[in-house]
Amino acid sequence: MTGVILFFAGTLTLAGVYAALAQILNLSAGWGGLWDLGMAGTVGIAAYVYTVATVSPSEFPNLDVALGLPIPVGIALSAVVTGLVALLIGIPSLRLRGEYFLITTFAFAEVVRQLMINQSSLTGGTVGLNRLDRPFEDAVTGGNYRYVLLAITFAVVVALYFFMRRLGRSPFGALLRSQRDNEPLAKALGKDVVRYRVLTFALAGVLVGLVAPLYVWYLKRVVPDLFAADLTFTVWTALVIGGIGSFRGPAIGAVFLICLTEALQFLQVDAEHAVLLATMRPLLLGLVLILVLRLRPEGLFTERRAFQRRTSPRTAPLAPQRAALASSPAAMETSEGSGS
Amino acid sequence: MLQTLVFGLITGSILAIAATGFALIRQTEGFLNIAHGQFLLVGAYLGVEFTSKLGLGIVLAGLVTFVCVGALAVLCARLVFDPVRERGALVLLFTSIGLAYVLYAGSILVFGVDILSFDVDFGNAIMLGSVAITPVEIGMIGVFVVAILGLMLFFNRTRLGTWVRATASNPDLARVRGVPVGVVSASVWFVAGGLGGVAGILLGLNSSVTSELGWNATMLILAATVLGGLGRIYGVMAAAMFLGLVMNLATEVIDPSYSTLVAFGALIIVLLIRPEGIFSIERRREIAA
Repeated sequence: MTGVILFFAGTLTLAGVYAALAQILNLSAGWGGLWDLGMAGTVGIAAYVYTVATVSPSEFPNLDVALGLPIPVGIALSAVVTGLVALLIGIPSLRLRGEYFLITTFAFAEVVRQLMINQSSLTGGTVGLNRLDRPFEDAVTGGNYRYVLLAITFAVVVALYFFMRRLGRSPFGALLRSQRDNEPLAKALGKDVVRYRVLTFALAGVLVGLVAPLYVWYLKRVVPDLFAADLTFTVWTALVIGGIGSFRGPAIGAVFLICLTEALQFLQVDAEHAVLLATMRPLLLGLVLILVLRLRPEGLFTERRAFQRRTSPRTAPLAPQRAALASSPAAMETSEGSGS
Repeated sequence: MLQTLVFGLITGSILAIAATGFALIRQTEGFLNIAHGQFLLVGAYLGVEFTSKLGLGIVLAGLVTFVCVGALAVLCARLVFDPVRERGALVLLFTSIGLAYVLYAGSILVFGVDILSFDVDFGNAIMLGSVAITPVEIGMIGVFVVAILGLMLFFNRTRLGTWVRATASNPDLARVRGVPVGVVSASVWFVAGGLGGVAGILLGLNSSVTSELGWNATMLILAATVLGGLGRIYGVMAAAMFLGLVMNLATEVIDPSYSTLVAFGALIIVLLIRPEGIFSIERRREIAA
């Protein structure tokens, strides 16, 4: 029985990590309308920066850089570096529109993954870095550590939720959604649209930097294969299921998706059926994505509902514009867009 | 050096055949079909089955695969993409990611995860000066030439080809003028899928068939398509050839493990400096914000 609970705690922790990432993606892709397919790249950079900053040189003598810094400093460093990288990617590429930004970020993530594999003196190559230290690990006995990690993850997800709720309803959030739905209008109001997009992408990078250590703690290791396009697509699927642009959607979509796919691992099968079981994850992911997009393209929670209370009768919902994936007639609060 | 050039030419030919189908879909259907890479995977597996289990010759196996994967692509278009067509390019794009996962998982279920290779005799290498090239390798480049000529004839000499071009340049006008849009869509998917399947066989011949073949190819196809300018078929062919050559020639000066990195580095640089693609002439307004 404790095995079941332990397994469930682990699954929920992983779901929490994805919930955090999906909420961040919701900021850049949902409200900002930035079609970012490079999440695996930023998460990878953050995870490796954190790891390299915190491991001690004596434990990993094969690394060129092992700073052995305290964990909080490592997290801060990861946030700063990932934010800067996002800024560097964002400044030139956010001049480009939709599809092009999507491909640039996709290619960026692939470059990052190849660099992780090749720069083995920095990253440990394909073997990666294993048996990493985790916070508060000495305080509890072995098996119970999962609950500690689950609690930390839960706290992070909740904190992010309230942060995003605040941000989404702020003038900044309103401006983001307005430039997504009607760029000429946002420009006509005197807003530097490109600057806000770059800022949003960089902010998403900083947040990824803060969250990625959770993933490292959960896995206890970093390997380049973890940061393949699959990670990006899983986060996107979670966001699409939950509802792009809503407050609760990303987290709930992630929990739903991860519980669905991880529950399969709980089944005990012989080696013959292991391959069959391993293919169930991509199969489910694909089917869920196709079906949700066809049957409920706005997701479980819709952006319209999320912002409904704040829409005054005077600012009637404007026509749906290109950026909204679900072509949801998102109500805009352009009147609040000033002063941010 | 010359030998590397030949390898580059072969890689480029394969990539060009794969990317052409992708570009065709982008141009006429208006979205990036991420599932295209998985058409390559299905083609490669079918090719192995046809040659090893049914004992077909490689050329015949290629033709049958072309038809099978083409039909599969038409089926996918009807079942998966048509119902969400009205919802715009991004829903289509994410639907194609879903389809890619389904095809990927389906291929593993049907064909397993073992690494397969084609049991084909490459024949004795022919020496051209200092370059050694086998008949099968010449055949690979030959397939590319045939594909280009075939597409040129198709686009310029047949009524269906004219319809495809008309639909690509202005879908609404084409529909108003009585072009049967359904027929055009089906034939484009058939050709794109078929070319993808053949490219999969060629990739398998060149190295081996693994379940990750499709995902790996997707990255390079995207790179070639953007380098050539989204949706410009001949530009994309040239870009794929260029990419194949650069990736192989790069191994002469740097570590071979960096060769894909060179491709993506080139892609990012081109996107940032010249987003309309290196081979396109006019600047297109849709790119810049």
